[in-house]
Amino acid sequence: MKNGRAWALLLMVGLGIAAAALIASPAGAWLLHPATPVAREVRTLFYKAVAVTAFFFILAEGLLLIAVLRFRAKPGVPAATWHENFKLEIVWTAIPAIAMVILSGPAFTTMKYMETTPKSELQIEVVGHQWFWEYRYPKYGVIFANEALVVPFGKIISANVTSIDVVHSWFVPDFGIKMDANPGRINHVWFQVDHPGTYKGQCAELCGVLHGQMFITVNVVTPEEFERWIEQKKKGA
Amino acid sequence: MEAGTVVARPGPYAEAVHPGTTPRTGILKWLLTSDHKLIGTMYIWLAFFFFAIAGAFAMVMRTQLAAPGLHVLRPEVYNQIMSLHGTFMVFFFTIPIMAGIANYVVPIQIGARDMAFPRLNAVSFWLLVPAGSLMLASLFLQGGAAAAGWTSYPPLTNRQYSPGPGVDLWILGLHLAGASSILGGINFVVTILNLRAPGMKMFKMPMFCWTVLVTQTIILIATPILAGALTMALTDRMFGTGFFQAVAGGDPVLWQHLFWFYSHPAVYIMVLPGMGMISQILPAFSGKHLFGYKGMVLATAGIGFIGFLVWGHHMFATGIDYRLRQFFSFASMVIAVPTGIKIWSWLATIWGGSLRFRTPMLFALGFIALFIIGGITGIWLALVPFDVQVHDTYFVVAHLHYVLFGGSLMAIMAGIYYWLPKISGKLYNEFWGKVHFWLTFIGMNLTFMPMHMMGMLGMPRRIYTYRPEFAIWNHIASAGAAVLGVGMTIFALNMLLSLWRGRRAPADPWNHSDETRTLEWTVSSPPPAENFHTIPVIR
Repeated sequence: MKNGRAWALLLMVGLGIAAAALIASPAGAWLLHPATPVAREVRTLFYKAVAVTAFFFILAEGLLLIAVLRFRAKPGVPAATWHENFKLEIVWTAIPAIAMVILSGPAFTTMKYMETTPKSELQIEVVGHQWFWEYRYPKYGVIFANEALVVPFGKIISANVTSIDVVHSWFVPDFGIKMDANPGRINHVWFQVDHPGTYKGQCAELCGVLHGQMFITVNVVTPEEFERWIEQKKKGA
Repeated sequence: MEAGTVVARPGPYAEAVHPGTTPRTGILKWLLTSDHKLIGTMYIWLAFFFFAIAGAFAMVMRTQLAAPGLHVLRPEVYNQIMSLHGTFMVFFFTIPIMAGIANYVVPIQIGARDMAFPRLNAVSFWLLVPAGSLMLASLFLQGGAAAAGWTSYPPLTNRQYSPGPGVDLWILGLHLAGASSILGGINFVVTILNLRAPGMKMFKMPMFCWTVLVTQTIILIATPILAGALTMALTDRMFGTGFFQAVAGGDPVLWQHLFWFYSHPAVYIMVLPGMGMISQILPAFSGKHLFGYKGMVLATAGIGFIGFLVWGHHMFATGIDYRLRQFFSFASMVIAVPTGIKIWSWLATIWGGSLRFRTPMLFALGFIALFIIGGITGIWLALVPFDVQVHDTYFVVAHLHYVLFGGSLMAIMAGIYYWLPKISGKLYNEFWGKVHFWLTFIGMNLTFMPMHMMGMLGMPRRIYTYRPEFAIWNHIASAGAAVLGVGMTIFALNMLLSLWRGRRAPADPWNHSDETRTLEWTVSSPPPAENFHTIPVIR
């Protein structure tokens, strides 16, 4: 590897792969198809974060690449001797600091939005077990485990999340929801699914041997279908 | 940093090596030594031994995950291997090897004959041997090793859910490693504050010494908290105290606070000394002073300080208070500022330099390229809503490997390639060093870049198999891991071959310019006993 250019090219390819991968990452399902208002807000925030940080990413990697290409040791060309520039240091301290303050604005707004449950139209309880999920509908007296959660679309659903044994985490990527299920504590989340459909997720906190098999399925149906389903469940079907 | 006029001053341990006493030889030389150079060397060997094991664990995991539904490992074994991979890489590779390199280099760089407390130094090292061995041995006991991740969240680690001795040995191992860290911390801080050669003012110290000083201070503050938490976990298991058990009036979330109060600063324990190495290697191979030395010192101290205020960003999905999350979120974003100062200063250091692309320099430049990526995803993860989306998914695995592999490990490799001729007195094969670099750089991106996508798609971490929709990214990651495995094998062979029949290294194999030559390059390779015949005076 005698030539700096060849390896700088390789570096460029490596960084190119990195950048392409970062750009391609919105292939993530929740980014393409956020199913709830919260997930859409998270996506918007993500894009804002990418926009703010892309500038610094490109600047830093770009300068690195240029330096590597330009400043290879050559006979008769001595290294520069400067090693201080107070103004420059102030600039590169202040600008990222300002960028972070700017970015914290939408982050906190989105956080507040996730945090504040609107008036709930259906309350459910989610209980983690090793290694399955139990769902309860207190208003209907319905309790079941190890099968799909069923909720109506368009309704605001609030969930109390807890665990009976170890820490689990209820995670449905398309909903923008992840909430730890802690024994002895009750956490709250809410969601409002835009469209009927089947949504997949799985436990996100290591909970023992079969952590990898602790799946979540949420069937989102029309309110009418939901009423029919819950009536059947009440009858013990 | 040239040595000026020298003053004669007998070393405090002079009698051990001076006429009248016989230096020990053979195995006893190593077993009974209190010489910082021998202890540092043993640290490095031991850390690489554990690195090989933890790396092999990673290879087995990537084999299991190469395609969905494989049965290379049973789920319970996967969890043990995964837990030990994390634990060993953190506690028995990265932290000890940083301590090892610092042990070797810092006393020479500040112009001292040894560490302040040589025997304590030996204790620090030897504690690590039973610590790692016990934990490793637990794999073969009934019930196997601890299987709750390197974070070991209770109640999963309570006796009810982890009945075997694995977790007990995990706790014991970490206790010993923690004690080793604390003793080492005292030693480093005292050494750096008190044993500097005449004229070696604090702000004349090489950057590596500064980062070690800050790191060891972090260790002194943070590690006792971990020790306390471990003791609580142990009494929960042994005597049913219930600190972390909701049914007994305790709270599992308390462990998470205590654990991360140590383990977030531990990230800086693992990366700051690496940054110090980079801050020396870049100038050495650019022929230029480090840019903005004082700014770098302040940034190091700033990262160390703010590092104590961000532990809650590991707990955004735990259900902690809204205001706490807001605070931790902002504090985490603030870390980007001093980290940025470092990145910009490194870029300014090489800018206009006369760059020589030797192996240490390649790893140092690779460090910058990769650390930027880890830093950017770190900013994203500081944003609570985005963090909640990808927390406990492979996105976090990708991020932490860009910081700890792209950061710490690349720096360690840079440091090993840089100082190995000094330590062993032998040169290594430059060509194979460069091959190692490229395989590492490419393999690293192949392995960990796809993990961002897995996380974005919703693949949780720490699962022994996965749904078919994540398959393509896992294929790529496993292929990348194979490339890394080949690279690391080449590294091991190259290093061993250099020890066996490498050419003799001169005092300064890198031909430092006068501005960048630190004291270790003014003495022979390896340095003489007690480092200096006469203590140098720094002008």
